[in-house]
Amino acid sequence: MISVITSLAIVFRKELLDGLRDRRSIFSALVPLAFIPLMVFFSFKMVVEQVQPVRELTVPVVGAERAQALVQWLGQQSGVSVVPGPGEPRTAVRNGDIGFALVIDEEFSELFERSKTAKVTLVVNSQDTKADRSASRIRALVRSYGQVIASQRLIVRGVSPEVTRPLVVETIDMTTSRERAAMLLVSIPFALLMTVFIGGLQIAIDSTAGERERQTLEPLLARPVERIALVGGKWLASVTFSWASVVLTAGLLFVSLDFAPLEQLGVRTDLGVYSMVLLLAAVLPLAPLVSAVQMAVATLARSYKEAQSYVSLLMLLPALPMIMMANPSTTQEPWQVVLPVMAQFMVITDVLEGSQVSLESVAIPAFVSLAGGVAALAVTARVFRSERVALGR
Amino acid sequence: MIEVRDLSKRFGEVHAVDRVSFRAEDGAVTALLGHNGAGKTTTLRMLYGLIQADRGNAFVDGIDVANERRAAQARLGVLSEARGLYPRLTPREHLRYFARLHGLGRRRVEERCGHLLDALDMDEIADRRAEGFSHGERTKVVLACALAHDPQNVILDEPTDGLDVMSTRAVRRLIRQLRADGRCVVFSSHIMQEVAAVSDSIVILSAGRVVAAGTVDTLRESTGLENLEDIFVAITERQG
Repeated sequence: MISVITSLAIVFRKELLDGLRDRRSIFSALVPLAFIPLMVFFSFKMVVEQVQPVRELTVPVVGAERAQALVQWLGQQSGVSVVPGPGEPRTAVRNGDIGFALVIDEEFSELFERSKTAKVTLVVNSQDTKADRSASRIRALVRSYGQVIASQRLIVRGVSPEVTRPLVVETIDMTTSRERAAMLLVSIPFALLMTVFIGGLQIAIDSTAGERERQTLEPLLARPVERIALVGGKWLASVTFSWASVVLTAGLLFVSLDFAPLEQLGVRTDLGVYSMVLLLAAVLPLAPLVSAVQMAVATLARSYKEAQSYVSLLMLLPALPMIMMANPSTTQEPWQVVLPVMAQFMVITDVLEGSQVSLESVAIPAFVSLAGGVAALAVTARVFRSERVALGR
Repeated sequence: MIEVRDLSKRFGEVHAVDRVSFRAEDGAVTALLGHNGAGKTTTLRMLYGLIQADRGNAFVDGIDVANERRAAQARLGVLSEARGLYPRLTPREHLRYFARLHGLGRRRVEERCGHLLDALDMDEIADRRAEGFSHGERTKVVLACALAHDPQNVILDEPTDGLDVMSTRAVRRLIRQLRADGRCVVFSSHIMQEVAAVSDSIVILSAGRVVAAGTVDTLRESTGLENLEDIFVAITERQG
């Protein structure tokens, strides 16, 4: 009879070979690689565009001749240029030819001259976020033009304009662009943690629930092998796939970050080799835990399909810290520092923000994850030889 | 040598195996004969350590399976009821995997691979992935895997189940060869003719119990019947 280590190595090699030949295993290891950098890149680009003020604004105006003073005043505002609008502004906006149009009412000049309330109409498709933002800006401009006119009219009548403004609200936005970017950076830890959950998933299921479904478990259990060696070899194969996936994805993320327009947000992009090593040191120890839990769940499931759906549910876990972090009032609790997934999430965020990352904040969650992984593995090993699993009931 | 003493197993309220005892000698073929659900597979599963007996013991070469599972399994070659293959591995890779798990050295592994692929006439499919193999091809591979480590004791659960005539003959030939090599062979079947064709002694199971045991000749004597099938039916009905 052979030692636990030798038999574990034999099982590991077999599962690795099997996994490398399995299109689904390769696929699940490469899925994050294909999609996650793209996801991060586009989410960055989108937010960057949203954060930047609308610099140049072209305003299509219909009936400009009816409100020459207003149109002239608009044209004098910085970044604003006025162009003649289309004959059928509603149709043009609906068809998406233009995002919005300012329509001066037929009776505008007549009402305006008589100091009555004159009307302008803003035609906009508010589904188009960019047009909506431009429209808001036009709305504010027209309103402030109204304020100017109101003040002039009051002054002419000998009334102080302050009468019409009993109070003023001033908003000060304390979010710096740096902080805004940090919120964005939440998508990177999410992506990396997700990779840990996806990379070795297929092997974790295939080597446990799949082994039973294929009717190969019974012949395997009839061999003189320690169950911890069987489960351990399968576990190592799953962890190897997960690690490979994380390392590749992290590499690709850094390349795509180079192309992301981060500078415009005032965020440093030169994360460097040291940060990269820290990131991997934080993320990689999570894989042994995740793979072990996936295997435990898949082993307990009654069928391959059931295993797949249970293990897929586990993939919701990396989303939890992201949801919590998205809430700005969330404070760091001591338990978060040791809780797997949460702790890794926070370390990654710290690294990306350029904050000081202590050795403990990497080592403690790593230790907790590894210990949890071994515990989950022990459970799987126990279950693996139980009659319920061996007989497929 | 395989020995079973007073072996019992219950699943819920059902006595799947009830105080079964028998002894299978080296250089002989022992058959467990019984209808489906008579307790053959459960008995064999306790023998090769897949499930634990509620009562009684199973010994392989004098080693108690319950106490020293791995030592007993090391001396067993098993064709179980479940006989799946890894679809992405070739027969040669299957053989290597199992031979290595039994601790065979590199050279010995290749030696056994070559011998078994040859003996079971699998040279043509040796390096093809198992996906899409026919039933006969699959059975050959699983059988070869059971014998990968050249075991002294061989347990075969319904070895000819679903096989065509040619494959059945090949399996019978293999069983006779194992006997000639002085191995202890225990196999199960629900077909009397099948059993009579290769076995030296027969253990008839019904509803989890041993209802008769002996050679074909002694069974003929005890029932006074000539036809093998009549003997089987008479014995199982007498007890049922």
